[in-house]
Amino acid sequence: MRSLALLALLALEAAAAPLPAVKMPSGRLFMVIQPHHDDHTTDYGFGGLIARLVDEGWRGVYIRASNDEKDGAHGYALNDQINLKECLEACRILGIERVHSLNWRNDYMDPIPTQELRAQLILLIRLYRPDLVLGHDPWGHYDRNPDHRKVAWAMAEAVWMAGYAGVHPEHLAAGLKPHRVPYLFLKARVDYGRGHEPNVVVELNESQIARKQKAYSAHRNVYASPAMARAIRKQLAAEGLFVPELEGLNDQQAAVLIEEWYMEWISRKRGEENGLRYGEVYWFRDEFDHLPGLKDYLRENAVQP
Amino acid sequence: MRGLCFSLLAAAVALAAAPRAAAQKTLLVITADQTDYVLAAGGAVAAMMAQGATGYLIRVTNDEKDSWDLAPEETARRARMESEEAARILGFREVISLGYRAGELGGVSPTELRDRLMFYIRLHRPEVLFIPNPYAHYVEVLDRFYAGQAAEEARRAAALENFQPPFAIAGLKPHLVPELYYYAQPVDPRRREPEGPATFVPQPKVVDITPMIERKLRAAKALRTANYSLAMRIRQRLEETGRRLPLLETVNEAAVEKLVEINVRKLGEIGAQGTRFKYAEEFHYAGPEYRIPKSYRD
Ligand SMILES: [Zn+2]
Repeated sequence: MRSLALLALLALEAAAAPLPAVKMPSGRLFMVIQPHHDDHTTDYGFGGLIARLVDEGWRGVYIRASNDEKDGAHGYALNDQINLKECLEACRILGIERVHSLNWRNDYMDPIPTQELRAQLILLIRLYRPDLVLGHDPWGHYDRNPDHRKVAWAMAEAVWMAGYAGVHPEHLAAGLKPHRVPYLFLKARVDYGRGHEPNVVVELNESQIARKQKAYSAHRNVYASPAMARAIRKQLAAEGLFVPELEGLNDQQAAVLIEEWYMEWISRKRGEENGLRYGEVYWFRDEFDHLPGLKDYLRENAVQP
Repeated sequence: MRGLCFSLLAAAVALAAAPRAAAQKTLLVITADQTDYVLAAGGAVAAMMAQGATGYLIRVTNDEKDSWDLAPEETARRARMESEEAARILGFREVISLGYRAGELGGVSPTELRDRLMFYIRLHRPEVLFIPNPYAHYVEVLDRFYAGQAAEEARRAAALENFQPPFAIAGLKPHLVPELYYYAQPVDPRRREPEGPATFVPQPKVVDITPMIERKLRAAKALRTANYSLAMRIRQRLEETGRRLPLLETVNEAAVEKLVEINVRKLGEIGAQGTRFKYAEEFHYAGPEYRIPKSYRD
């Protein structure tokens, strides 16, 4: 259903020039900073990229800012537990080593002080010293999810303010050192309008797509649920249609297969749009992009001793 | 106490009511931090003041964090002196430092900030206002977003009589600033695209700053503490990744000034791309063509 709606939307997109393939940054640790249990696995990022980073030797940490209590049909407390369990499973599939939950109240993050959340992220950034952060694009338009907005804005400042000794000097008293995060990959739903401007495509291989599919469908409380498959089969039957591959599968199995098809399709589409077999698109911020007057000079004149 | 209040009020009333020659424009520049307006708009504002405009600069934050190995208090003290020196070089008559803590504007009431900015708009009654562009995407320092949003609101509120009645009681009558420039350093990939027709949204505008480039450069160099901080951060990043920059082998005054010069000239060249100018600055501009009926505007 969602695939069909998105397909129709994408058909309306003007054919854009292919994006350049990203020159992958070098580093050892990436940090995913997201509000929800599933944000690292969705159609518009980051499952394939995370799988590729792990293949290339990176280690990963996931910061889940909310408690996900609203996502699912089991009531607040159970939703929190089930979603966290599925988040951990998706992280295991992708190769992320640790998950830290900040447990802010899901969908009620607008009123929390941005600086309080930012302080938590600055502490974790100084602790882990990531070379790369993956998060929502704070400039993306029309993201009506308050948690996405809040975490993106707190993250946008935390990644550079963590590098300034005058910011939260109490961390330094505990032995931590300032650390600026040099690289960012930002995502937003591309069907949400302007604001987010993907500037790179990340090429993915079949094995990375397979892990992306599995990680996404691990979220059975909200995505690959039997109810979803039942609804699709019911609609197909009403139109006198059936999908042979779904025959003989129970609703849970059918739901997983449908979600995996969806992940394969969107990755193939993003790849083909950019001259690749499989891909994901992002706004990539390079280490000196915040200095538009100096970045070319630094790239041309910095030397290996 | 009452005597002091009264004389302050009288001064405000006198200033607000002071007549001005028609040719003499007043310019008000609002900046979140000491470096942003110099790098994004320093040439354009210097040119206006060189042609006779009277300039006032409002620094919203105290820049207390932008240093290398200095305490916030010492950083703020130096930033104040150095930003006043930079403003003097560009031609400003006065620098108004509001003193909010750098990096913390997200926690300040937007209405409080708006009303303080609006106070100065009514006091100095500028014909031209420069503000940080809160719609410029991928700007890293979010103080610029918060200050820009408050400044944009302040321009509107300054013109409307029902905002802050005590201001009007004190003699600060409503004032509409006719010309508005939104500035930002060039990181937004779509900054040159008009978002709509000129009647409804401010339009991209490129201003030639070639005659002012040396003055802008001298102003940028005056921000010594921030410049040294920038140089040390670049060097640290390169060292951590096994690289070095010959220019920053020794981070002394000459090296830092050379880095500033490379930055300022390159920013000028980026601004001038696609034009016949050598150096330029890019803005979004709401001028005389930005006119919509009052019933819509309010
Ligand atoms: Zn989410």
